[in-house]
Amino acid sequence: MAAAIDTEIQPSYVDVDRQVQRALAPGGLKYWLWVLFCAFLTALGGAFWTNQIYNSFDITGYGQPTMWAVYITNFVFWVGIAHSGTLISAILFLFRVRWRTAIFRLAETMTVFAVATAGLFPLIHLGRVWFFYWLVPYPNERSLQPDFRSPLVWDLFAISTYLTISVLFLFTGLIPDIANARDKAVGWRRTFYSILSFGWQGTDRQWRNFATVYLLLAGFATPLVLSVHSVVSWDFAMTQLPGWHSTIFAPYFVAGAIFSGCALVLTLAIPARRLMKIEGLITIWHLDNLSKVVLLTSVIMTYSYATESFMVWYTQDPIEMATFQQRYYGPQGYMFWMMITCNCAIPLLLFIPRVRTNTVWLFIISIFVNIGMWLERFVIFVGSLSTNADPSQWKFYVPRLTEVIITIGSFGWFLMNFSLFAKFLPIVSMTEMKEGISWLKQAVREVYPYRKAA
Amino acid sequence: MSDGLSRRSFLKLAATAGAAAAIPGCEPAARKIIPYVVPDENIIPGVPSYFATTCGECSAGCGIIAKVREGRVIKLEGNPADPISQGAICARGQAALQGVYNPDRLSKPKRRKADGSLEEIGWDEALKLFNDRLAAAAKAGKDRIAYIGAPQGPTLDRLTKLWAGAFGSSRVVFWERIGTEPARAAADACFGRRDLPIYQLDRADVIVSFGADFLETWGSPVEQTRQYADFRTPRMRRGGLSIGKAAYVSPRMGITGAKCDAWVPANPGTEGAVALAVLNVMAGAGSLRHAGTAASAIQAQLAAYDPESVSRKSGVPVSQIKQMADWLGQAESPLALPGGDDPQTYLAAYAINALTGSVGNAMVFLAGAPAETASRPQETSAVVQAIGAGQVDVVVIAAGANPIFTMPASWGAATAIGRAPFVVWFGDAPDDSAQAAQLLIPTHHHLESWRDSAPRAGIYGLGQPVMQPVFPSRVLHDILLESAHLGAGEAAQSITWENAQDAVNAAWQELQSKLGLDPMGAEFWNQMRRNGGSFERAKALNVAFNPDALKGATPARVESESALLLAAFPHPFLYDGRGANKPWLQEIPEPSNQIVWDSWAEIHPETAAQLGLQEHYKSTYLYAGIDVIEIATPSGTLELAVHITPLVKPGVIAAPIGQGHTSYGRYASGRGANLWAFLPAGSRAVPVRARKIERQYKLVTPLGKSDMMGRSIVEVMSVEQLANGIKPPIELEEEENTPKLPYEMYDAWQYTGHKWGMTIDVNACTGCSACVAACYAENNLPFGGKEEVDKGRVMSWIRIERFIPSADEAAAAPNLYIAPVLCQQCDHAPCEPVCPVFASHHTPEGLNAQIYNRCVGTRFCENNCPYKVRRFNWYPAEWPEPLNLQLNPDVTVRGPGVMEKCTFCIQRITNAEIDARTEGRQLVDGEIITACAQACPARAISFGDLNDANSAMVKRRIDNPGRTYTMLPEFNALPAITYLRSLYWEKGKA
Repeated sequence: MAAAIDTEIQPSYVDVDRQVQRALAPGGLKYWLWVLFCAFLTALGGAFWTNQIYNSFDITGYGQPTMWAVYITNFVFWVGIAHSGTLISAILFLFRVRWRTAIFRLAETMTVFAVATAGLFPLIHLGRVWFFYWLVPYPNERSLQPDFRSPLVWDLFAISTYLTISVLFLFTGLIPDIANARDKAVGWRRTFYSILSFGWQGTDRQWRNFATVYLLLAGFATPLVLSVHSVVSWDFAMTQLPGWHSTIFAPYFVAGAIFSGCALVLTLAIPARRLMKIEGLITIWHLDNLSKVVLLTSVIMTYSYATESFMVWYTQDPIEMATFQQRYYGPQGYMFWMMITCNCAIPLLLFIPRVRTNTVWLFIISIFVNIGMWLERFVIFVGSLSTNADPSQWKFYVPRLTEVIITIGSFGWFLMNFSLFAKFLPIVSMTEMKEGISWLKQAVREVYPYRKAA
Repeated sequence: MSDGLSRRSFLKLAATAGAAAAIPGCEPAARKIIPYVVPDENIIPGVPSYFATTCGECSAGCGIIAKVREGRVIKLEGNPADPISQGAICARGQAALQGVYNPDRLSKPKRRKADGSLEEIGWDEALKLFNDRLAAAAKAGKDRIAYIGAPQGPTLDRLTKLWAGAFGSSRVVFWERIGTEPARAAADACFGRRDLPIYQLDRADVIVSFGADFLETWGSPVEQTRQYADFRTPRMRRGGLSIGKAAYVSPRMGITGAKCDAWVPANPGTEGAVALAVLNVMAGAGSLRHAGTAASAIQAQLAAYDPESVSRKSGVPVSQIKQMADWLGQAESPLALPGGDDPQTYLAAYAINALTGSVGNAMVFLAGAPAETASRPQETSAVVQAIGAGQVDVVVIAAGANPIFTMPASWGAATAIGRAPFVVWFGDAPDDSAQAAQLLIPTHHHLESWRDSAPRAGIYGLGQPVMQPVFPSRVLHDILLESAHLGAGEAAQSITWENAQDAVNAAWQELQSKLGLDPMGAEFWNQMRRNGGSFERAKALNVAFNPDALKGATPARVESESALLLAAFPHPFLYDGRGANKPWLQEIPEPSNQIVWDSWAEIHPETAAQLGLQEHYKSTYLYAGIDVIEIATPSGTLELAVHITPLVKPGVIAAPIGQGHTSYGRYASGRGANLWAFLPAGSRAVPVRARKIERQYKLVTPLGKSDMMGRSIVEVMSVEQLANGIKPPIELEEEENTPKLPYEMYDAWQYTGHKWGMTIDVNACTGCSACVAACYAENNLPFGGKEEVDKGRVMSWIRIERFIPSADEAAAAPNLYIAPVLCQQCDHAPCEPVCPVFASHHTPEGLNAQIYNRCVGTRFCENNCPYKVRRFNWYPAEWPEPLNLQLNPDVTVRGPGVMEKCTFCIQRITNAEIDARTEGRQLVDGEIITACAQACPARAISFGDLNDANSAMVKRRIDNPGRTYTMLPEFNALPAITYLRSLYWEKGKA
């Protein structure tokens, strides 16, 4: 490891190109087996979803009063993950943060596919999915509109806006890189890249326009990081349910989104850099900085949990207090404590520099963070529904096979898309890497003292 | 359906099938509705017809009215003209619809082959077989034919006796397991007449029930519920505002105990001893005002029933015995109600009533009481013995008697009947007794039959068919009559009637002359058919109490020192077992324990701990019980899953009767345990041993937590608080927590026309669930079965919520919190703004409407409902034919993926508004009544127009100022339903 860093500590433009495009080489057996496996999981999830549409929700574990459970948890989970990708690629761009260059493409990709995954779940959880388009205000002869007071309609706009902007942003940024790849490609790949690069020639004018558009798109995407997940959180905060009806939800969810998304970037970046041999581009220094964001948001989450609990006690509202008492000490209380461990306790390890620069530790911690964040949504949504205002209607939820398979299938879908993207399109932005080479070398040197004997 | 349809019938069926097929989704898109080419005389499509008849689901004989659409009955209501039901109907009565449309009804005669299986045969062959066997038996000698059938009313029972007599047999038994023999024997001893007294609970001011679950299965629950609601209505009595006071002596609380002030836990079978002890104390205290000179003699006779020794036997503390005696003694109009199978309970209760002067007031004997219908247990067991001894060649089982299921094990009915050479079974749905039959013949359901009933003096109920038979069954008594004419020859000459309808007609002509009416013939008959019978007020009789009756008081039956006693009780819906094949009765939870689709053993936590049973399910609300115990009785062992509850006496295992059918259709078979098989004759209690076994069995309940946690769902106040205008603590708390000027973002709704609302009197509601059954019938609610209820998918739009007061609440609360909860039709409905497609929206008349066709199934609305009244169709609803014929054509059948909820019976509202508009007039208060309000025997639910200050519903609020509340006001949903607080006597107050 140490030797590898030494030699690649001074990449040149050519080095950058070479490293990134080496990853674009045709995949080996192991790669295709992995993609096939993900595709299999996707197909399995799809089959179970089809079964659910055909045979109704009878096969799921849903029942009174948990109207929303695993599917909405997955929805919020994936949408949350998406936000940190945009944070890294748009917000950190506007702030000219240096360590963003190597990972932002990967993060942006994660965003697009996470939104694509998240967007499936509002469909999956619908009772009559074939009428989903009624939420869209399309002109019709009966002059029917959706109800704009409903947070689900806001969701529709927020998510579709987010998907549109993210895709545009990603593909706009990709254009020079794809052109780069096109120049060295042969065969069908050349055709493929030619189409996607829109005839980019790298002229001065094109570069100027590119910079302007990119800046504008970054500007568009920035407020979405805060607004989209706020809107998603209002699916819950706008209700009267004890445990949901809280003004803390918007910042709470946004912070949680960044938290889990950055952790997933770590989860994806660490194996990606190893398998595609781009450790020189996505360096320990980048991972170190990313984990600092994870640590920061973890502390924010801890503060949020504490605030939420404090406010519940402070209101002395018996219904709120009963719901939270169940959340902590009820039969599903173990999930709450697992969540605290994963989200508050384990990330504290990131205070230790050695942990922050150790890829194995980072990988493990990031997995725990995502487990914790998934549990957080489940605990909030299912917990409050299960212990609502009328005690005779309390009932705890147990997921059945369909929900489990569809959840696994969603991971398969995400990973399949991500893996295909990573193989066929540049996963590191060659353009921005080249812009930032000079201070990359300096930065890696700064980190080097930490790496005693890895 | 049936073979050989006439064109008319086909068109009728096609029209109804088309109307019921509105299911979207994966069903074929279009079905044809074929209009009548030649209209039927009495049918206007879309306009219902109403036929008055008498319910046959139990012996109470309530008059009912059947609503018939396009030739099929879709709803039953109480007959307002009938003095017993007075327009109300119980859950069992509603479920009679699932009896007439039961998919497991027999459609063709069947014969048992040599290998034991059944084969279908034609009618001619079946009847020939029947008649040949009868003839052979008659020839072989006298009394070689036995008939065991449920009582069918005076005329038909008389017919049956004549039929049997024509074949030389007197072995005719009218069998009712839950019978009146102990009451009649006691009445004979006490008053010299074997009549049943009438109880008027509303005339009493103190009621002590000794084992009579008068709000569940005893007597006529519909009538008693109405009277009890009156009894508990606050009114001025001497000393100020008060309500009636009641105590219930019983091993388990049930809803009867829940609605009484004191539930007195007593060992099963000792209710009689407790009653005698109470009488003893009353005699000693001089409270027996009407005892006169016999007072000391009576006290001497009761010496063996001193409170201390009775307390030891029964487990009732001496203080409680004394308190009951005190209550009865201090009352102006005390009433003791006797229940169970022990005659001495009845002796004691009659003595209490007679000696305190209540006979003639709250307890009355009427002149002209009808002859006894049911046979005495001794006669019945004699007949069974004769069958077992081989003295009978042909056994006829008919009319749902089901002797093999209900007869005591000691009679050996199953073996005896099994050994009989030839058993014929007549009925609608083959039950356990049909298993022993060699010939099964389908006969009409009571809703398809001509019959009559005489439940008490002055009431002659008529039963008429309300529709064409659903299955190609035949009239039982027509078959009997025909066979009598065929086989018995001259002996049958005395039977002048041609068929059952003729017989009923003739009986009514007799009645006509008995009533001293001008025999105008047709006019009287038509009048009777419109009214559903003749309802006269019978005169009360003066009876004298014979103090010597108490000499016959014998020690309590259950004398064992056994640590555990099994107390079996008739399930309020399944009754003696006959209700088990009706899915509504299985799916509606038993109100006090909220368990569905099973038998269970209620065990007190202390006893459970001794047996090593744990309440480990308590915090997950996933089930009501999971451990199983094996109970060893003298008649055998049975296994029951345990439900640990404080609503039963420690040391007692209370188990419901009604399940455990080996064969009674798909909904009843193989479910639970048949308690009848383990009970001795004449008792519902038996000493047992029990042990926990390793098996686990889940008891399913739709109920979550039993602790109301002080929330404003069922509110109560004490009589003292009401009398003195004191606000109960919860109201003070709400006033403190509710902002004085709630901030309104939107303008209030303006209701220029009607604004529908409800007032529900929680004090009157007993939890009987008649409203729930009515809603199932009216609104095409699907039933899912045990698995679906387990997953939390009960579809009831109105439910009875039941909470157990916690230890600190108990002092200031009734025994159970019970209230009906349905969609509150809120003004600020939380479900409306969250629906993305306006499927949930507000109507100009104040209702929250659900548009099924618009619902995409996001389920956001139910999340935001604080009352959790909305129901999602998780599974496609199914009604196995012909249950689908019961569906109400005015109400959409919802497909899967769609949300639904109570609509305040908007179909009834709309129909009435259309009628009013057509006739060019305004709606009249009382013209629209929701199904739940109509069914309620306690008249707890009033529906009306909030904009009409003179409506009964609004008046009810105005007349009860200190008692009104809304549920969960902190959510500011502004419900259209106002509840009236339940009242209780503070413990320790007079």
